[in-house]
Amino acid sequence: MIERTLLIKTRLGLHARAAARLVRVASGFHSQVKLRRLDGSASADAKSILSVLMLAASRGTELLASAEGSDEKAAIDAIDQLFAEGFGETEPESSI
Amino acid sequence: MTKEPREIRCKGLGVSEGIVLGQVLRLQHGTPHVYHWKIDDADLETERQRFRAAVGLASRQVLTIKEQAEQRFGKDHAYIFDAHLLLLEDEKLIGDIERHITEQHTNAEWAVKVVGDGLLYLYSQIKDDYLRERGSDIEDVMQRLLVALSGAQPENRSLSEDAVIVAQDLLPSAVAELDLAHARAFATDMGGWTSHTAILARGVGIPAVVGLRDSYRRTKTGDRIIVDSTRNEVILNPSADTLEQYQTESVRRLERRGAADRVERGPVQTADGVEVTLRANVEVPSEFDGVERYGASGVGLYRSEFLLARRGGMVSEAEQCEAYEAIAKVAGSQGAVIRLFDLGGENMREQFQEPEKNPALGLRAIRFVLSNEAVMRTQVRAILLAAASGHLKIVLPMVADVSDVRRAQAIILEEATGLKQAGQSVGAVSVGAMIEVPSAVFMADKIARIVDFFELGTNDLVQYTLAVDRGNDEVADWFRTLHPAVLHSIDQSLKAAARGGIPAIVCGEMASTPAYAVLLIGLGATDLSMTPSAIPRVRRAIAGIDAEQARAIATECLNCESANEVEDLVRERFAKLWPQLFPPASLPAPRQVK
Repeated sequence: MIERTLLIKTRLGLHARAAARLVRVASGFHSQVKLRRLDGSASADAKSILSVLMLAASRGTELLASAEGSDEKAAIDAIDQLFAEGFGETEPESSI
Repeated sequence: MTKEPREIRCKGLGVSEGIVLGQVLRLQHGTPHVYHWKIDDADLETERQRFRAAVGLASRQVLTIKEQAEQRFGKDHAYIFDAHLLLLEDEKLIGDIERHITEQHTNAEWAVKVVGDGLLYLYSQIKDDYLRERGSDIEDVMQRLLVALSGAQPENRSLSEDAVIVAQDLLPSAVAELDLAHARAFATDMGGWTSHTAILARGVGIPAVVGLRDSYRRTKTGDRIIVDSTRNEVILNPSADTLEQYQTESVRRLERRGAADRVERGPVQTADGVEVTLRANVEVPSEFDGVERYGASGVGLYRSEFLLARRGGMVSEAEQCEAYEAIAKVAGSQGAVIRLFDLGGENMREQFQEPEKNPALGLRAIRFVLSNEAVMRTQVRAILLAAASGHLKIVLPMVADVSDVRRAQAIILEEATGLKQAGQSVGAVSVGAMIEVPSAVFMADKIARIVDFFELGTNDLVQYTLAVDRGNDEVADWFRTLHPAVLHSIDQSLKAAARGGIPAIVCGEMASTPAYAVLLIGLGATDLSMTPSAIPRVRRAIAGIDAEQARAIATECLNCESANEVEDLVRERFAKLWPQLFPPASLPAPRQVK
């Protein structure tokens, strides 16, 4: 099993669209992928959007990602990259 | 004789700008009634199959919506429906519902409702506003499942012309299914600044007022309605008088638009000869044209943090310098005031640090740049270099007292000296202070002694003086620009500037509303900065009034005991003195008695 600590950097947190991307990416691997809040209050199956949404991970939340299976290294790298890229989001309008 | 329906005004939160008069189209929302019945062991498999068929139907519908949304709003908005699809494929969600059917021997509708309500309850406990509002996605999917189970087709929402969509709440898929070419405005009972309706309405430029509480039940499809986001309200069944006011207003707007072709420039004089300078607030390059087009005397406020929002990260000295040279060129001989990065709170702070519990009172604006000196030094160098070829000033956002100002001035001086020693040519740059928090108002006399000018940010001044978050519709009733406390703050700041012998620019939305601009002149302001398109209408109002009379009204306002009293007074005096300039609809609306 591989583990890695990840930080939510996007302004709006792990909301529905970001969660959808995450689930799509995680579902592309055979390994089991889990996310756990570092404060221990919740954990999620990264292949279930419902479960990911219920993490209620807002900006600044630290998550421990773990992958276990034949392609665990590739899975964790892909998830890591997704977090680093801010889930490929363009920032919404800036406020006044 | 048929009785005319009574005019009703509902207060909400304007989240997307504009005024629209149209006819109501009610969109039904709210869970259809769900009944509970028992399923025998023998029929359980049939019930589960019926449920799976409904899931399949719902998925196909969402896929269609997603494809349409991609074409109409772009991939960014369509991605939300990928989340809906994933929910419909989610083994945990679908499994939970199937298990509920089996274990409780219940019909599928009931199982969807029980499981869905449970999830929505959990979601409602989330503390983060934005994430919590996304509970609407779960609700959306649950409703779609219930409709699919009922065998009904989703409503056909082809719109007639000028329909104003009135709903309790608009779920994302409902908005996407609408034919937005015919949606003139949105008015919803629920929602806030970050709700999906608000984001989408701003994205496509449709006026919207949300958080109206109970306007939905008061309307019928086909009723006349005015959605006025500038006044944060909707008017149901507007009376003949109201309609006339709005129509006059819109004719005036058209006239003014026409008049803008022969644009006047330079300062404007009141009828009794007081000269007032009108400058432009700009942020994005698309607004630059407006400085020239609307006859602004330079740029009174350039919100530099836009540079960061666009690039999504720190911007190099050279890139910044280029941007400031461009703004100096646009501003011409009147110059441009560059506000140092006003980052924090709602802006893009996350690249630099962790989120704060209370960002509005946190490390932002001058506090942020002083704590990230490298960021500030880069920006200051870029401004100094750009000033070699144009007229630029620096304004320090959100200073609390002279110590913030002195620290910033020391850094500016060091950078100027450093650049000169390195043989670079730098321009002379004067430094001003934004007066936008109560502490700065109290300390204004001391600050005035050490800065070159004041700039009053009225939006923040209202927010911080009254301790009211303008984005929170729960407290919208407390956000009162014409509160006597706000007027006193403006009065004291302007007087402190006058005593210190320095100029003061008033920027912020107050200056762009003609009636409020006149009140500012009554308080002694002679230099206003506003959104460029507002300049012609403010110019016209100022040219038609006597500053002396405005001063008399302002003095009376300062003696009022509440915002209501100020608004009543303004309405009454303005209507009497300048009826041709200020039709009732251009004045603060009378408060609704609740």
